Amino acid sequence: MEKSGSADSLGSKRSSSRQPSVDSLTRYRCVTVTCVSLCHGVAASDVTYICPFLGAIRGSLTVTNYRLFFKCLDKDPAFVLDLPVGVISRVEKIGAISAQGEVSFGLVCKDIRNLRFAHRYQEGSLKKSIFELVNKFAFPVSNALRMFAFEYGQPFPENGWKVYDPLAEYKRQGLPNESWRITKANEHYDVCETYPATLVVPANIPDEELKRVAAFRAKGRIPVLSWIHPETQATVTRCSQPMVGVNGKRSKEDEKHLQAIMDANAQSHKLFIFDARPPVNAAANKMKGGGFESEDAYQNAELVFLDIHNIHVMRESLRKLKEVVYPNIEESHWLSNLESTHWLEHIKLILAGALRIADKVESGKTSVVVHCSDGWDRTAQLSSLAMLMLDGFYRTLRGFQVLVEKEWLSFGHRFQLRIGHGDRNHTDADRSPVFLQFIDCVWQMTRQFPAAFEFNEFFLITILDHLYSCLFGTFLCNSEQQRLEEDLPKRTVSLWSYINSQHEEFTNPLYVDYANHVLYPVVSMRHLELWVGYYIRWNPRMRPQEPLHQHYRELLAKRAELQRKVEELQREVAGRVAVAPPEKAGSPAGSPVQTCV
Amino acid sequence: MFSIKPLKPTLKSCVPPLQPDMKKAPQLTIRKLEAKLLPGEIVVSEVNFVRKCMGTGCSQDDLWGKLICTNFKVSFVSHEVLDRQVFQYRNRLLGDHDVPLACVEQLVTVNEAKGKQKVLLSNRKLKFSPTELVLYCKDLRVLRFRFDEAGPESSRKVCLAIAHYAQPTDPRLLFGFEYVGKLYRPPAGEHGGRLQTPLFICPSDWDREVKRTGATEWRVCSVNEGYAVSPSLPEHFVVPASLADQDLKQLSCSFVGQRLPLWCWNHLNGSALVRTAGIRDVAEQRKLEQRVCNAITKSHPKRSSAHKVHLDRSLPSIRDVRASFVRLRQLCAIGPYQESEDKWLSSVESTGWLDNVRAFLQQSVEVVYMLEGKHVSVILQEEEDRDLSCVISCLVQLMLDPHFRSLVGFQSLVQKEWVMGGHRFLDRCNHLKRSEGEESPMFLLFLDCVWQLMRQHPAAFEFTEIYLAVLCDSMWIPVFSTFLFNCPRQWAEYSQDFTQSGQQGEDRAVRFPPVWDWSQQFSLRDQTLFNSPMYVGKGVAARVQNGGVRTFRRAKPKIYSSMVRGTASMQNGVLGAHATLPRRNSLVLRLLSGSETPAQPDSPDSASQCFVRDWLSRPADPHGLLLPELLPSHLQLWRFYFLRWVSEARIARGGPITALHRLSLLVDEIETLQARLRQYGGTSTPPGLPPGSPDPGLTHRMPSEQSKMYFKTGPLAGPPQQPEYLSSSFPFSPVGNLSRPSTLGTPLSKLLSGAGL
Repeated sequence: MEKSGSADSLGSKRSSSRQPSVDSLTRYRCVTVTCVSLCHGVAASDVTYICPFLGAIRGSLTVTNYRLFFKCLDKDPAFVLDLPVGVISRVEKIGAISAQGEVSFGLVCKDIRNLRFAHRYQEGSLKKSIFELVNKFAFPVSNALRMFAFEYGQPFPENGWKVYDPLAEYKRQGLPNESWRITKANEHYDVCETYPATLVVPANIPDEELKRVAAFRAKGRIPVLSWIHPETQATVTRCSQPMVGVNGKRSKEDEKHLQAIMDANAQSHKLFIFDARPPVNAAANKMKGGGFESEDAYQNAELVFLDIHNIHVMRESLRKLKEVVYPNIEESHWLSNLESTHWLEHIKLILAGALRIADKVESGKTSVVVHCSDGWDRTAQLSSLAMLMLDGFYRTLRGFQVLVEKEWLSFGHRFQLRIGHGDRNHTDADRSPVFLQFIDCVWQMTRQFPAAFEFNEFFLITILDHLYSCLFGTFLCNSEQQRLEEDLPKRTVSLWSYINSQHEEFTNPLYVDYANHVLYPVVSMRHLELWVGYYIRWNPRMRPQEPLHQHYRELLAKRAELQRKVEELQREVAGRVAVAPPEKAGSPAGSPVQTCV
Repeated sequence: MFSIKPLKPTLKSCVPPLQPDMKKAPQLTIRKLEAKLLPGEIVVSEVNFVRKCMGTGCSQDDLWGKLICTNFKVSFVSHEVLDRQVFQYRNRLLGDHDVPLACVEQLVTVNEAKGKQKVLLSNRKLKFSPTELVLYCKDLRVLRFRFDEAGPESSRKVCLAIAHYAQPTDPRLLFGFEYVGKLYRPPAGEHGGRLQTPLFICPSDWDREVKRTGATEWRVCSVNEGYAVSPSLPEHFVVPASLADQDLKQLSCSFVGQRLPLWCWNHLNGSALVRTAGIRDVAEQRKLEQRVCNAITKSHPKRSSAHKVHLDRSLPSIRDVRASFVRLRQLCAIGPYQESEDKWLSSVESTGWLDNVRAFLQQSVEVVYMLEGKHVSVILQEEEDRDLSCVISCLVQLMLDPHFRSLVGFQSLVQKEWVMGGHRFLDRCNHLKRSEGEESPMFLLFLDCVWQLMRQHPAAFEFTEIYLAVLCDSMWIPVFSTFLFNCPRQWAEYSQDFTQSGQQGEDRAVRFPPVWDWSQQFSLRDQTLFNSPMYVGKGVAARVQNGGVRTFRRAKPKIYSSMVRGTASMQNGVLGAHATLPRRNSLVLRLLSGSETPAQPDSPDSASQCFVRDWLSRPADPHGLLLPELLPSHLQLWRFYFLRWVSEARIARGGPITALHRLSLLVDEIETLQARLRQYGGTSTPPGLPPGSPDPGLTHRMPSEQSKMYFKTGPLAGPPQQPEYLSSSFPFSPVGNLSRPSTLGTPLSKLLSGAGL
């Protein structure tokens, strides 16, 4: 039990710990590790990591309440494996104790990895296997422990919890205006407990009516505004399915509410309702009291199904994908194997849905209502992607944070359930890679428009890594209400604090801000590709592509240097001229480098 | 009888194709609908009131005009002129809607009313008058013309003329002979510096290459002068110094096509890359092989024996390559767009094209390993030594020698291994439509392999994918010596014919222009599209050219180390590493070399795989050895080439070009600054300025022609705007769609109208 020793090694191992997201954190963590008691840290020597690529590697393993750290110092250079325990979704003992007295453990990870270890284990010894400790720390929720995010007290220059201020964001969109008002009706989360406190609704719908609308919408998730077009006033609104049921129930208030949404946009006398589900699934929901809007009840509304499958289908698809990409890729039939996972097909349907929404709003100048069943999975994907296409602000580093905070976190995407933070129950049917799909879609867009996003691929990967790491409070809990109850902004650090403290690492230098530029990605299998930089990153046969932007940075530095030199010379010339004929003194001074920006 | 419609004044700049850089100001001319003809080009047949179908959808975007068949091209001239602003680059030999006859793969005539359809071949009859003509082109375009309003007889005649002229039976009927006979003068000397590409016709080019690579034990021989020994070898080539001319003559009889072993390249460790044909005489085989191998061994500084690779056995045949290409073309360019969407990935896979690309890259890596890792010479053997070995030898040299990754270096490589190596371009392109069996897109396959390398190592190549595509397209313009002949002798013979029949009685032999004389096709400005802004460090390439022989080693990353470190950090892997450390997988080697070899869970690692892994574990140096990653997930369809004409697949205002655009602007700015700096250096050394003259720094005489970048920083300060016309298929365009203002939504609305979602 080398507590402080292991803690030290974590800090000093910086140069060889190779995961950049973790790596760059170490400088902050050095402090953390010493101030937070690491009495849980346990080290075991003589553990074998059975690497699927390199074979068996012997070394020592340290487990703390945040991370699992394996190193092999016999090798030069040292081999290091370093991952947050939060990423582990399952710890399983494989087989019985072998003849050599070794037990084998498999760790199934949420980030497309499986790790296998073996170590000597004396039966009857009082010492627990180190993997029982992994079991303990990886699943704090199941073990009635605190998440590491609550221990992590690293101060950052900026408080990321302040990145998103709903009022400021709505103000940026020009809200409230004559047609839309900001309501505090949900201040105490009693209209809808999974919605944020601040909502934007049609101006002519009073708060009392909202409650009646809520009664007709699943989980009380009423149609509210997500985004408004600055010129046409066409809006993106989101909600959950109407509680139509088998008998085709109707709600006057709900119909009025949608009518008000349509009326708020003078440009169009139509309203498009995008139901994210396949029509069959939508119809099947009637059995459970849900369903979809009938065009009879909602005049001038047109209902479109987007054929996106539910969370269970997506989970299964990712499972298949993992089989195809990890650990090894079959040399033949790669593309058809990839196709059989349907992962890219799902990505395509989501992007296509978002594109149709964006196109209706931009080209059709028509307001749209988006929902699925509960309005917190597919709806979040669609509304946030459509907003990303429509509004350049969300394509900036900070804008994207606002987008995630707004459409995902405040509107109650159930991160706790979908990811299963700290929960041992890896078979939980509520788990699903919905957010991962969203980030994948964003990545696809960055591929098609390499200069349209202020952030880079590393930013997206970092978000995903910390989606699972439980180092930050950002992705904990299921709703805004829960987050406030847990007092997360006070007790944990936001991921954005970390990111914004070193934003240059996450910035795409090719970014150009084109005002009012709507992105229309080509949603075709011809252009969609598997995100190898994420899904295949563990494969040692893959080397990350030399990113363009690194080259760009080099060039920027070179330009700066040249500009400096030119200016120096100009000054020199100016000086000389000033000495000689006085009438020409002015001219060289007026020759700044025109090209410098 | 010509145009009854009112003629619109047009703003078309009339640049005569063969007066490079004498651009006239755009003139306002009233233009009749006439084809622009090149010297030697004549109109064969034409028909008016033809509709050219634009895109696949509605007909309202169609263009009206005249369809003309000449002895060179199928030309469509229209009253409506594409907006120059949009249509940024132009070919001097071809108009916007023109297709060279040699580019026509197949022509199909349709009569809708009669429900008839016919693939038109040369000298066949056409019994119905066509209402529609569809041209399937070798560059993957598909063009449709409708004759609803046109005279039935002239329509029929034009179709027959195209069919006839597109399928000549004799090389002399190829347009190049008319064109060159009339006009071409090779650019005088080094003037303009455009033709720095050595053609390897004269011994000095070979000699320079031998010196550059430090191949001391090799000599240039002229035993094949007058093509006395082998018809398909160049007159001069390089052989082991230990073989005398007499030996060579004697040896040659036993090789297929009398093709003696041909030196390609030397590694600085002394290992050589040699290509050779098969040996005809089975009885003599062993003895001969021994002699050749001994000679090559003698030329190795360590006398290590050479390693022979039988390309025929390990690689797909030219027929396999053709079959996979035909399938891929069908999928990408011809088949309906929406239908292939669902099964796109498996369809791409089943074409087998990417597998072929991978096989050739893989084989090249093996050869690289022998040369670089095992320090032995490699002999590439192929039965005829004129197809597979061209691809492999080029790829190997590209991976090993940074010189060939510069533009001039690459051109010299193609000239050396393909043109002088005797690749049967005439047959493989099937310019004479003789036998389908001989046709094979080997050169395209090679370019695709280069593209894969380039995609993985963008900083290592001086040229862009636009260059590769344009080079490929040039194969279908039958005027360039590069792609017109089966071997150097054929080229020499036909050139000879000209001087003898010499209408002009010039003292100088008329040659066909090599494609490397890019001013034949493009203005200097358009040629800058070839230059990649990502290319780093021309310095090294220059040193190599100067004959320094120690530069293609993996250099220590110096200035670009931070780039590399960034690369490593993108890995975000458990096994990721810092550039300062040898990276993760060097471990592999250590594990393997250690006493306890761990069980390899995946594949049995061959030594060459270890070599690759070890290389991958280190930061790449754009001027060192380059290896491709060969995981199937890392090879991609060359979308730019294969999908550039498909309007639905075009990303408006997006695609890799937008990143390139940004980089170009920056590079241009840097160039401007450097030029400025030089000026200041020049003007400030003589003390003071000549009185009265304005400060040179003020006047804008940044010689803009010198800029290597197509995209330049504008005179205005402020954030550079991305031009509207950029798209994923720039500078090509799915013609028509681009010429309309309202196109942004076109593919989208088609998509949104329901199908396939």
